[in-house]
Amino acid sequence: MTLAHPLRFAFALLVAAALALLYTVLTRRRTAHDLAYSSITFWTAAAQPGRWIPRLLDAGWMLALLLLALALGGVHLTAPMPVHDGAVFICIDTSGSMATTDVSPTRAAAALNAARAFIEESAPGTRIGLITFSGGASMIQPLSSDHEQVEAALAQVPPPNGATAIGDALRLAATALPETGHRLIVLVTDGVNNTGVDPLEVAEWLGTQHVPVYTIGIGTPNGGFIPGSEDEATIDEGALREYAQVSGGAYARAEDATELHDALARLGRITSFAKQRVDATAGFTIAGIVLLVTTFLTGMGLGKL
Amino acid sequence: MPGGSPTNRRGDGYEFVELRGYVPGDDVRRIDWAASARSGELQTRIVLEDVGLTLAAVLDDSPSMSVGRTRPLLDAAREALTLWYEVAEPEDRCVRVIGNTLHPTGALRGAASAAAALGAKGNFDLQESLETARSALRAGAALLAIGDWFDLRGDADGLLYALARRYDCTMLLARDPWFDGLTLSGIVRIRGAEGGVLRAYVGRNERERYARAVRRREAELCQRFTLAGWRTGMLEESSGFASLAATFGVRLARAG
Repeated sequence: MTLAHPLRFAFALLVAAALALLYTVLTRRRTAHDLAYSSITFWTAAAQPGRWIPRLLDAGWMLALLLLALALGGVHLTAPMPVHDGAVFICIDTSGSMATTDVSPTRAAAALNAARAFIEESAPGTRIGLITFSGGASMIQPLSSDHEQVEAALAQVPPPNGATAIGDALRLAATALPETGHRLIVLVTDGVNNTGVDPLEVAEWLGTQHVPVYTIGIGTPNGGFIPGSEDEATIDEGALREYAQVSGGAYARAEDATELHDALARLGRITSFAKQRVDATAGFTIAGIVLLVTTFLTGMGLGKL
Repeated sequence: MPGGSPTNRRGDGYEFVELRGYVPGDDVRRIDWAASARSGELQTRIVLEDVGLTLAAVLDDSPSMSVGRTRPLLDAAREALTLWYEVAEPEDRCVRVIGNTLHPTGALRGAASAAAALGAKGNFDLQESLETARSALRAGAALLAIGDWFDLRGDADGLLYALARRYDCTMLLARDPWFDGLTLSGIVRIRGAEGGVLRAYVGRNERERYARAVRRREAELCQRFTLAGWRTGMLEESSGFASLAATFGVRLARAG
């Protein structure tokens, strides 16, 4: 928490202290709510009164004044705020193994649906780009904050075919991302890198640039055969977890379409927020006034004033 | 009124009443040796002294008695004490026990003077005054004790019993000013008559608990004194005269 105008805050605290002093003096006057009694010890034991209620009211007064003083001082808070200039690349694996049907209807179709969910869950203003990769990587949608356009670009994702060049996709995303700001890469794949540059090296470099890579492995534990071939679709979970770890991201495994959808939708929400220094003057002012009025009315109702 | 009617017939100064077994504390000069020899046990001659009655009073005039709903409880206590001394005959001895001394009030007898002798001193010591009464008063004296009894110790029953054995004892308990219910509600401030301030919330439950506790305290105090052999009564804030009279079963015509 920081203050834009510390002197104003100090002045407000002085005023609050003066008000508290005045309040104390006023409440010391004998009023209709005073009772002189022979023995406080007996009275307390007899009535067993709620002593916390007046203390709570006092705390309410003090907290309200403190909130208003902070508001006058131009309070700023560091809080998670929606990021409107975030940049995200979704790298979708379009290798031949994505045609495997162990994830209904196919891994490729499930990945597209999940990418759609990610786009829909992302905060408005977040720039999203699409990269597909198999034997090489290609950008089918540059970064754009027009989420409808990005979603429409999903139609350009080619059918599953070819090898798996994870490193190439990461490198392409790295070069296309802005140099600053809130950035991340979502890697949706089912396979083992088998061509192109070393993904681990690219992931490590991304980590140094504060660009986390969130990897999502698609496929059931038993896997399945790639349609039209004798090859079995496998998944290198250890490698995917390592890419995520060295870059500061996280790994999730999706064994069915729903899990994949949820994982990407969750990521979409995660990327929507970043810690920012925000002006909380309005919030503190409203909270202070509400608390002040509530405490005053409660005090009136309880016969304090 | 207190202690019955002492005799003032002329004669040898004493009127024989009865013989009874000796109990520690009896004046050895009153032992009837002939009767003791006959019965085989010490016998004491019980006589009525041909002197005036001693009217003694212990009054709690501490600040705790300065509270009240419409007026201080001490005002009612003054009235009761005034009435107590008013019934004295010329030969009676009126004393007030204050701390460790007996203060004769013969010269001050009368409503105005008795009241003038009172005042919140703030250093009332109930235990000391009762101990003084036990050791300094003559047997057969009539003792009136007025107070709120907040200072009465839990182990004082022996002392109360000893006083009742020796004297005709009457206790007036200052009735709680809010005996019939606290009139306050909400957040209130309780100022202790002997110091301290308490801020608290008083609602229906608090009022009910308070009323129950006050009634229970009065009942328990009266029972303690009654079991010890004291005559007990309530000192109503409205009239000390009527309160004292009612304790002796007398209804006063005069207004408090």
